[in-house]
Amino acid sequence: MGTSVQNSIPRRDPALVMRLSRLGSMHQCRLSFMRVLTRRLANENWSFARPVFDVDAKGVGHAVYTATGPARTYSLVAFAHDLPPEERSDRVIATAWDATFTLFDGVPTADDIERLSHNIPYQEAGRVNEKSLSVSRANRSVRLWKHMVDALAKGEQPDVDKVASVGYLMRTTAVYGSGKLGAADHETLADRPEFDAPFQAEMLSVFLTRAFVRDMINHMARARGGAQAAELALDIAHGLGIGNSTGLGMAPFLINHPVLLNNWVAAREEAIARVRSLNTAQEAEANLFRSLFARVQVLVETWRSEHPVQIKKLVALKADLEKVEAYLGGDDLTANSPWDRLLNWTSAALSEEGQELIASLILEPYGELVDDLSPAMSDHRPDASRILGTMSVKATRNLMRAGYAQALETDWSAKENCARAWYVSEEKLEPRLGERFEEPIAEYEQPLSPGRDVALAFADLKIWDDDAPVSEFLLNHPEHRHSIRRVQINACAPYSEIQDNTICADMMPIDMLRYKLATFGATHFDPRSDRWLRICMFGNAPYPEELTPENADLWVYPDAEGNS
Amino acid sequence: MSYALNEVEALAKRAVRGAGMSWGTAEEAAKATRWLCRNGIDGAGVLSALLDHNQGKAEQDLRPIETSRIWRAVDDAQLCSLQAGAALSDGALKLKDASITMQRLSFPALLLPFMASAAAQLNCVLVLECDAGSASTDGNLLGLSNDALLQATSADVVIRIGDLTGNILSQVSRAKPAPEAWDTLNTYAHKTYAPATEASRLAGAGAGLSDND
Repeated sequence: MGTSVQNSIPRRDPALVMRLSRLGSMHQCRLSFMRVLTRRLANENWSFARPVFDVDAKGVGHAVYTATGPARTYSLVAFAHDLPPEERSDRVIATAWDATFTLFDGVPTADDIERLSHNIPYQEAGRVNEKSLSVSRANRSVRLWKHMVDALAKGEQPDVDKVASVGYLMRTTAVYGSGKLGAADHETLADRPEFDAPFQAEMLSVFLTRAFVRDMINHMARARGGAQAAELALDIAHGLGIGNSTGLGMAPFLINHPVLLNNWVAAREEAIARVRSLNTAQEAEANLFRSLFARVQVLVETWRSEHPVQIKKLVALKADLEKVEAYLGGDDLTANSPWDRLLNWTSAALSEEGQELIASLILEPYGELVDDLSPAMSDHRPDASRILGTMSVKATRNLMRAGYAQALETDWSAKENCARAWYVSEEKLEPRLGERFEEPIAEYEQPLSPGRDVALAFADLKIWDDDAPVSEFLLNHPEHRHSIRRVQINACAPYSEIQDNTICADMMPIDMLRYKLATFGATHFDPRSDRWLRICMFGNAPYPEELTPENADLWVYPDAEGNS
Repeated sequence: MSYALNEVEALAKRAVRGAGMSWGTAEEAAKATRWLCRNGIDGAGVLSALLDHNQGKAEQDLRPIETSRIWRAVDDAQLCSLQAGAALSDGALKLKDASITMQRLSFPALLLPFMASAAAQLNCVLVLECDAGSASTDGNLLGLSNDALLQATSADVVIRIGDLTGNILSQVSRAKPAPEAWDTLNTYAHKTYAPATEASRLAGAGAGLSDND
C-alpha cells in the first residue's frame, strides 16, 4: 500500500495489533465497508426505486429494488417465503428461509426473475450465473416480527424498548459473493469504481435488503389490519438494522486471504498513524470528536449481550468510556499532538475494547486525510502467492523469526496447544472446529494453523545450509510449501498473519469473526457461543431514498436520544 | 453449465488435497487450473485426468529428483506436471541461461500455467516443445501450435526462452468443464470432508444460545 503522507508516528507493531484478543475487540471506523458504500452512493447521487413488489397477504412473492449510479444499475431481487417455524435455523445446514435474495447486475427481465425463482430460494442447492453478484438469505427475528405486525395491524406503533432490545427485524444468515454458487467472480468486476473497496456488492445487497424488510413489515401489517393498520414510524424504522448471524466460515476466510487481511489492517493502521502524526487539531475537529464520543456512548449503552465474555468486556468498555470522559475534561485536544497523546494514554489506561474504539474514533474528523485508503483494502496483488525460490534458507529463517516469534516459542507437543482442528463437514460443507484428541477429525484438518505449520517448517529447515535456495528445500519438503508461501507473503504484508495460536484449547473463534464484521462496519456484537455471533448492520442508517451527503457518513452514531 | 473461476480454484484445491498431495501443492494446482480455464482450456479435465493417473503414488515419488538441465523422476517413472511445475516456477531463473528438458512429463498441458509463472518472473516469453506440438506464453497469454498438446498424457518436453507464436487463445471469465471431470474432482474433494456425526453437528459450529428467536 502506498503512503502519500510522511508520518512522524509509525504504524503500530503487527505483534501488538494481530493478537486475537485485540482483533476480537475491533470497532467500525470510517474505512468500514458499509460506510465506504453509503458515502459513495450519496456522493455520486445514486437513485433508488422499487419497480416490483408482488407479495401476497401470507407474505409470499417477490420484489425488485434498484440502485442506479453514474454508469450502471444493480437490482436486489428478493423472494419472500412462508417458512414453517420448525425449519427456521441460522445454521449453514438450514435448507429454507423467510426470505432469499440475489444482487443482480442490471435490471432483471421477466425471464431472469423466472430463472432466479427456481434457484435463489434454494440457496446452495441452486445455481446462478454471472449476472448475479451475490446470493443471500434472511430469517425473521420471531420475537420482534410478531410484536411489530401485531402492533401495526392494530394501528399502534411497536414498543420502542422491545425494538431496541433486538435491533433488527430480519437477520441474514449468509451473504455469498465472488463466484459462489456460480455468481460473478469479483475479478470480473474489479474495473468498476463502485467495487474499488472490498465487499461493496455484498454491502449494497444488505443495504437494499433493509428497505425490503421495512416494506415487508408494513405490508404484512396492512394485510392483517387493513385500513386501521399503521405505517411503521420513521424514527423507529431508522433504529432497525439488518441482523446477521455469523458462524465459523469467516475465520477460515481471514486465514486463507492473508494479503486481504493485511490490507484491511494496514489501511486502518495507516489512517491511525496519519492522524496521530498531526501536531495540532482545529477546534472544529476536536469538537466533532467530542460530539461523536458522546454519541458512541449512546451506541454502547444500547449494545446488549448474553454471553459472559462479552458482558465482561462491555462492563470494562463502559468503565473505559468514563475514564475517557474525564480525560477529555482536562484536554482541549488541539495542541501538542493531541491524538497521539490520547492514544498513548489509552494504551495504558483502557481495555482493548476501549483502546480500539478510541483508535477508530480519532479518524472521524479526518475524512480528507484517510478516506483515500479504502481502495487499498482490496487485494491488487494476484502474484503475491508466487514463491520466490531463490530466497536463501537463511533469509527464510530470519523471516520466520521476525514474523512468527510467538509460534516459534510455543511448545506444539503440548496437547493444550494443539487441542483443536479445523475441518469441513461433508454436511453442506460447513466449516467446523473440533477436538483433535477426542474426535476422528485430524486427517481432515484444514491448513488453518499457520503458527504451528511455520514452526514445523522452521524445525525441518534447521539442518539446511544457510545459502541453499528455498526452492531446494521445497523440492524435498512439499509439505512445507504452504507455510513458505505464507512466510514470504508476510515479509511484504506484515499484518497478514494472526499472531496467535488458532488451534489451542482456549481459542475463541468469535475473535476472528468480530474482526471481520467490525471491518464490514457492524455494531452490537453479541456472541451466542464461542463460535458464532450476531451483529447489526446499517442500524441507524438512512434508507436508500433518504440518503444525502449530509447523512451518508456518521449515521452509525445515534444522537443523544438514540435516533439517527 | 458454466462455473465461476473461483469455483474452479476452490474445487481444484480440495480435489488435489483429497488425492493425497500437500496443501501447498494443492494451492499451486488450483491456481494452475484456473489459469488454464481463463485461457479457454478445460483445466478441470486435465487435472482430473492427472489425479486419476497419479493414484496410489506418494507425492515424494512424483517430484523431479534431478533438476539441472534434464529433469526426471525417480527410477525414470513419469514426472508429475504439478510437482515439476512448482519446481519450474521456483527455479525460473535457471531458464535464463539454458533450456530445460523434462523427461516423461505427465499431462504437459498442466505445466503451462507454471511456465507462465516463470515467464512472468523472467519478463520474457517461454516456449514448450514436444512431439505433440508447441506452446508459448508471456505469463498471461497462451499461444498453441495445435490442440494435440492439450490431449497429450505424457511427453518429453523442452522449455526455453522464445517468442509468442501459434494460435493465441482468447481469454474467458467462465469455465465450462466436462461434467465427468467436474464429478471426478468432486469425488476427490469429498475425501477432505469429515463425515458428519451428531456430536460434530452440535458442537462443531453451533450450540450455545437459540438461533430461532
